[in-house]
Amino acid sequence: MSAPARRPVVLLRPVPGTSTIHELWAGTKLIVVFGISVLLTFYPGWVPIGLVAALVLTAVWMARIPRGALPSVPRWLWVLLAIGGITAAMGGGPPDVHIGSVVAGLGGLLNFLRITSLSIVLLGLGAMVSWTTNVAEVAPAVATLGRPLRRLRVPIDEWAVVLGLALRAFPMLIDEFRILYAARRLRPREVAPTRRARLRRSRVEMIDMVTAAITVALRRADEMGDAIAARGGTGQISAAPSRPRWPDAIALAIVVAGSAGAIASEQLLGWTIF
Amino acid sequence: MAALSAATAIVAIVVPFAAGLSLLGTVPVGLLAYRNRLRVLIAGTIAGSLIAFLVAGTGGTMTVVQCAYIGAVAGLVKRRNRGTPTVIVVGLCAGLANAAASVGALIVLSRLRNLIFESMTANVMGLARVLSHVPYMRPASGYLKDGFPRLLTYWPWWIGGSLLLGVLVVTLIGWWALSRVLTRLSNVAGVQKLDMLPDTGVIAPLPVRLDDVTFRYPRSDHDALGPVTLSVEPGEHVAITGVNGAGKTTLMLVLAGQPPTSGTVERPAGVGLGKVGGTAVIMQHPESQVLGTRVADDVVWGLPPGQSTDVRRLLEEVGLDGLAERDTGGLSGGELQRLAVAAALAREPSLLIADEVTSMVDQPGRAALLRLLAGLRERHQMALVHITHYNNEADSAERIVNLTGNGTSDNTQMVEPAAAPTPTPPVDTGSAPAVIEVDRLGHVYASGTPWATTALRDISFDVHEGDGLLIHGGNGSGKSTLAWVMSGLTVPTTGSCLLDGRPVSDQVGAVAMSFQAARLQLMRSRVDREVASAAGFSPHETSRVVAALTTVGLDASLASRRIDQLSGGQMRRVVLAGLLARSPRALILDEPLAGVDAASQRGLVRLLEDLRRRTGLTVVVISHDFAGLEDLCPRTLHLQDGVVRPAPAIAGGAA
Repeated sequence: MSAPARRPVVLLRPVPGTSTIHELWAGTKLIVVFGISVLLTFYPGWVPIGLVAALVLTAVWMARIPRGALPSVPRWLWVLLAIGGITAAMGGGPPDVHIGSVVAGLGGLLNFLRITSLSIVLLGLGAMVSWTTNVAEVAPAVATLGRPLRRLRVPIDEWAVVLGLALRAFPMLIDEFRILYAARRLRPREVAPTRRARLRRSRVEMIDMVTAAITVALRRADEMGDAIAARGGTGQISAAPSRPRWPDAIALAIVVAGSAGAIASEQLLGWTIF
Repeated sequence: MAALSAATAIVAIVVPFAAGLSLLGTVPVGLLAYRNRLRVLIAGTIAGSLIAFLVAGTGGTMTVVQCAYIGAVAGLVKRRNRGTPTVIVVGLCAGLANAAASVGALIVLSRLRNLIFESMTANVMGLARVLSHVPYMRPASGYLKDGFPRLLTYWPWWIGGSLLLGVLVVTLIGWWALSRVLTRLSNVAGVQKLDMLPDTGVIAPLPVRLDDVTFRYPRSDHDALGPVTLSVEPGEHVAITGVNGAGKTTLMLVLAGQPPTSGTVERPAGVGLGKVGGTAVIMQHPESQVLGTRVADDVVWGLPPGQSTDVRRLLEEVGLDGLAERDTGGLSGGELQRLAVAAALAREPSLLIADEVTSMVDQPGRAALLRLLAGLRERHQMALVHITHYNNEADSAERIVNLTGNGTSDNTQMVEPAAAPTPTPPVDTGSAPAVIEVDRLGHVYASGTPWATTALRDISFDVHEGDGLLIHGGNGSGKSTLAWVMSGLTVPTTGSCLLDGRPVSDQVGAVAMSFQAARLQLMRSRVDREVASAAGFSPHETSRVVAALTTVGLDASLASRRIDQLSGGQMRRVVLAGLLARSPRALILDEPLAGVDAASQRGLVRLLEDLRRRTGLTVVVISHDFAGLEDLCPRTLHLQDGVVRPAPAIAGGAA
């Protein structure tokens, strides 16, 4: 094994250890991520992107996330990025930079970099939640956050139960899909004589796979339904629901202040710096 | 409740599907919309988009919402029994709404829109510039340069138009796939058994008297139970035994409150399933009855809001003290079952029914669980009904009820292969050439990340031609990982696993593997198609299909049977038929006996023994049990914590 192993994407499992970030209430993290996503959708300028990037990096540092938590970036993504970057750079546009007698328009490249960093920052923000939050805390937090909606007759508790159960079932189903996929790999490749037959076969195979996956999921659902019935229906979902505490207030205050600053800068500077 | 859990499961598959095959992500949602009420669909969509948000941020949410939207359209049309023209009309309307919404959003989000358009312009202009240097491409470059900005000024039209078209196409694909999947699923029998019954208010399940009770499932032509006459008094310990198909689980349903088909059930008041002072049930599958993600959360799951529980004391009682904060995903089968006991005790039930609770648990786990169950009545005012097919588990009961059943056992369709004369003498495995060579093998999952876990360390052994090897180990010993490496599915992080001198991971498929969950390995809808597809020949070659079925002792009449109408033991044999028809270099069986009743177990082991002796098949069995495998696997390898250990005391296995 000479090539270094590719680091897989690990979903919904917090990085081991604890920190202030780990201990924040899950609801706070959801609010922050949601709020910042909205902010960046409305104001995708350099200042907001930079501020959010600083926020994410500080959080990474505070939560002591090692570099290994990042999954390996597949090569095709690099290639795609390079092609995008090169064509955008060739596009030119203001501002112009004079290097000796050569005039280079950086506008295209800057726009490309901005949209790329926007995506990276948003992904990083989501990853931070996934890296520092135990999934068990998410459903109770959603139930608490959604409490005001209860007055509008929104079945928020039902949603929280479904969310909690789905998060519980998620790893089990992933495991079953892994076996499904492995079993398929072990089978001989079917060769079809004509292109038409090949197309037909791949269609049939697709339906077979979807059916198998759904059968597996429905079976799980039935067993889960039995288990719920055995508990006498739904009710409590958490033994010790966590509440927001003062670090949450501080975190929210920081984010609100940062967002306000970002919006102000956008308004003052016009819709783009360059 | 069933609908709720269906929503859950569907959601959990939509998320990965939406990521990988976003076109087909609509199918599960379509199914949900077809089968359930809108409320369930909404709950499912909300939960799904939240998970997607956690996994992939806003982009993931948008994908899931799109899938849900389009899937719901297809599913609802299907539910109303309309045809393709309706789908086209509805799809057009849905696409129009979607296009309007997206264009509207882009109008509001002017900054984001400008950024996206400028970025696109830069890319296109750059491309045009590159093209202008390529001979013959100059005109194309010119078109791009002039045309693209003009196109951008009409953006609402083409963005809206392409969205409209996209939604329509995806709806049609979803519709097509959904129709196919629904016809296939119509034959799948649900396995949901317990029903929520309306509460009568007063709860008093005991004493219960069953008089000539029979039970017949809907759409079935024979009684699954009975007639049975039986009573359970408060504080009693009753064991119920019997072979598969005798109606043990059906009896559990009746005790848990299902009205019988005939006969009478007398009890003072309501059964109170899952209620305080009522009836609690612990079932066979450890994983699926645990509903909380954290141990402490699972104990209180479903209790009425406001009721406080001494979680610590309950966990102490079942021997899980100190694990309250642990994730339930990391517990072993035995621990999960003890957790289920704790959740049952949180309800202080008057009647506790344990239904085959040990059948998916390894030997040490089984012993601990039985000790726990036997000791329960010393501390609690409750009756215990223990349903089991192991005779020795029934011994501690005060009374044993043996259900005889009515002859619908698992094996009626199976024929034992004729004892053929052995053409070759038993292979002397010591001198036979090595088929699989495992050399200083190690494997680390998620290597290089903070979640890295070592599954295997420095393992070396050989498997020879005609060998029978048992790889034995408890939960988390790494035995399944070893099986995946030996079949070539997992590339080990260190060391090597060679098949005939070449890495086995380059020859996936040469070593056959039968997974513990046989159903996952059966992909086609019918037995003959399945066997043909797994073996690599055409389903029209009936004689080869029949030959393959005969090898594993299945009757030829089974060939046209639907997969979902097979019993567990038959499924396992169908898998084997497909695998063996390819004459694999070796056959790996992962927990081949789990969840199969004693008679089928014996039949399966005899079949494999016979195959090994007659055809010189190399067999590797992965199991947490030794029982009955001595003749099939003369050689045993003990794994513990990812390393090979010298043989442990056999007493541990036989207990």
